[in-house]
Amino acid sequence: MMETIHIDGSLGEGGGQVLRSSLALSMITGKRVEFKNIRAGRAKPGLMRQHLACVRAAQKFCGARVQGDELKSMEVSFIPGEIQAGDYHFNVGSAGSVGLVLQTVMPALILADGPSTLILEGGTHNPMAPPFDFLKQVFVPQLAKMGVKMDMNLEDWGFFPAGGGRMNVSIEPVNELKSLSLMTRGALKNRRGRAVVSSIPISIAESEVKVLQSKLEWKDISAEEVLQPNGPGNIVMTELEFEHVSELCSSFGEKGIRAARVADKAVCAIRKYLLSEAPVGEHLADQLLLPMALAGEGEFLCTEISSHTRTNMEVIQKFLKVKFSVREQNQAFHISIT
Amino acid sequence: MKKKVLIGLLGPNLDMGTKNTRWEKWRPSVALCMHEDLAFDRYELLYQKRFHLLAETISSDILSVSPETTLRQHHIDWRDPWDFVEVYSALYDFACHYSFKEDEEYFINITTGTHVAQICLFLLTESYHFPAQLIQSSPSQKKHKNVAGTYSIIDLDLSKYDSLANRFQAETFESYDLLKSGIKTRDDKFNRLIEQIEKVCLRSDAPLLLRGPTGAGKSQLASRIYELRKQKHQLKGNFVEVNCATLRGDAAMSTLFGHKKGSYTGATSDRPGLLKEADGGLLFLDEIGELGLDEQAMLLRALEDKSFLPLGSDSSTTSDFQLICGTNRELYKASEEGLFREDLLARINIWDFELPGLKNRTADIAPNIDHELQKFAESSGKLMRFTKEARKSYLDFATSAEATWKSNFRDLNASIHRMTTLADSSRIGNDICDKEVQRLQRQWQSLEHPRDEVILNELFSPNFIESIDPFDRPQLAKVIQTCRESKNLSEAGRKLFCVSRKNKKVPNDADRLRKYLARFELSWKDIKA
Repeated sequence: MMETIHIDGSLGEGGGQVLRSSLALSMITGKRVEFKNIRAGRAKPGLMRQHLACVRAAQKFCGARVQGDELKSMEVSFIPGEIQAGDYHFNVGSAGSVGLVLQTVMPALILADGPSTLILEGGTHNPMAPPFDFLKQVFVPQLAKMGVKMDMNLEDWGFFPAGGGRMNVSIEPVNELKSLSLMTRGALKNRRGRAVVSSIPISIAESEVKVLQSKLEWKDISAEEVLQPNGPGNIVMTELEFEHVSELCSSFGEKGIRAARVADKAVCAIRKYLLSEAPVGEHLADQLLLPMALAGEGEFLCTEISSHTRTNMEVIQKFLKVKFSVREQNQAFHISIT
Repeated sequence: MKKKVLIGLLGPNLDMGTKNTRWEKWRPSVALCMHEDLAFDRYELLYQKRFHLLAETISSDILSVSPETTLRQHHIDWRDPWDFVEVYSALYDFACHYSFKEDEEYFINITTGTHVAQICLFLLTESYHFPAQLIQSSPSQKKHKNVAGTYSIIDLDLSKYDSLANRFQAETFESYDLLKSGIKTRDDKFNRLIEQIEKVCLRSDAPLLLRGPTGAGKSQLASRIYELRKQKHQLKGNFVEVNCATLRGDAAMSTLFGHKKGSYTGATSDRPGLLKEADGGLLFLDEIGELGLDEQAMLLRALEDKSFLPLGSDSSTTSDFQLICGTNRELYKASEEGLFREDLLARINIWDFELPGLKNRTADIAPNIDHELQKFAESSGKLMRFTKEARKSYLDFATSAEATWKSNFRDLNASIHRMTTLADSSRIGNDICDKEVQRLQRQWQSLEHPRDEVILNELFSPNFIESIDPFDRPQLAKVIQTCRESKNLSEAGRKLFCVSRKNKKVPNDADRLRKYLARFELSWKDIKA
């Protein structure tokens, strides 16, 4: 009989992250998953469109039998089928960031029986999800170290609320993931600041650049304009590239928020990373847990542990026979799998 | 799960914007597709041809934010978006030609379009031409505006809106109930009658004539009509009620029309009269057939001119009132016999309703029993019920042919009163009920062979008898009987006061008797006639 994993959304940080990790693990392990109390206690409980998009995508990749896949549903039953490698095209609209869908299906495609390509349309730069640039520059290089050949390209920018972005992803699967040990940053190779505007005056990006320049004193700081914009948007990104790891912090412009404040947020975030010596930032830690658990062993040192990360570890431990251990070490956290 | 389909008009104002800045503002047609907890499978976008550029922008924006939505565009045209007929018929045509399916759930966007269009959409939805719920988008009230804003769904089928729609109906139901004193009468004919009376008295202030046997509830109904019209602010003045059988002689004129001080002996002060008291209100003249011919003439003038001359006054007084008359006499016959003015009859007989006696409303006896018990409970604080068997046997008798209900509701009222008073517990049992049935049987039998009643009936009108306390009736009958058996007033007096006269120095039997008879407006001549 198929093993069933029960996930209670009312425990821990029972948000979309739990749903996405569980779906990914269900597809990989073939274990049936029963969700209850999905997003209980939120102002709008149950599945929202962005969550439903992930459920539907997961269903499509493995031919799962799904019950309760409706908006506002608080109970979902997901019985996975065989993962099908191949060419996929998803349009998730502006509300559901394409990055979140990618997060859901990518682990399964890494271990599929053939290469896959994905075209994802919708929001590529959305304040509620890791932006495309983070995935490509920070996360994908670590996956490469684990043996995954993955490439992703941004074809169109998609800011909230208009959306209309597009990216393509190609994944070469591996039989087994290599273990990862990420304990030091290594030598600094590159520092870059970018202020990007879409459909709004470039002067906004230029004033953000001035703030970055005065506060960071990096050489490579530029103002950019999206050439074929689909809607208005503004993002400021501060990136650091080290020998073993990269970090990218971002901040989104909004109507009514001054450009200087937008730039400030990106500066503060990257300064906070620089205060520590741990290589893995909060967001990368979240992304690495699952591949590392699939590899069966590995360790990294991260700057902080959020409640998101802890909940994510609990979910992974429900599906896989792994045990995370967390140890505080010189004001950083050592996470390892035993 | 049913597919969700949104039907909405393109809003040339609210949805406006083709430049990129459009994304910074709330555009209802797009905003409805941007909510995290709401997704439409299909969007039927209705637009006027001249706005096709805007329609294209809106369509592609909808698809961008909500790729799961299939968008269908429809031309809908009117020259003047503020013209009710044009807009209504265009939307009506759309609704009639659209094939609504069972497995789809429809939403009508009433945020966009002119007010006229919104009203038409509402009406067509309320009338089920659009089997849909209404949906409305509102711009965000927060400081950092979310362009999606908020939305609310209004399902007109929900009971809370239902109660709104039924408000009017409930209101008429209330007034209908009011006229029946809240008694859930079951007699169809009676209920239809009340419906009609309700209609008439809410729409017209012309005089009403209520016909029916004594105790059928004429005066009750008149006061209910007054309550109803007052509730609807159709009347401001008082309810004034008088039984014409009690109006005799000079006093009759003065009672009705008032008098000036000193206009006749005993007129020691000004008196406005009942007609004046009823100004702006309702005057109920019961037993109108008993009104004297002089008063009839005055009343007619008062009705026609809304003015009349009080006794002893040089100038006329005005009064505007609604008149309701009650009668148990055949007024047409009376007018043929010259006892009732034909012109007055025509004037008060515009609306003529016949209230059936209780005997002809057997279906209503049970609810009226409950009503009487309720009234008793309200006045005594004691809730009274029949035992099941007692109720059945009382009802069996009450609805049988044997029960004549001679005085209609008066009989029923008295009967219930007796039983509730006699009952020791809160139950009226078989013993009390059986005794009451026997009592009613006796009462009605004796009415068929009346001794006292016969005697009184020979001398008085039924209405006058009604105005005499039952306590006094046997005594009066005995007095009359004795008078008839006597040669003169003195002899009758001697017989009637045979005990008390012994203690008197001057036996004044004749005078005592004369005074007694005068109380009932009787003289020796009347009796011997």
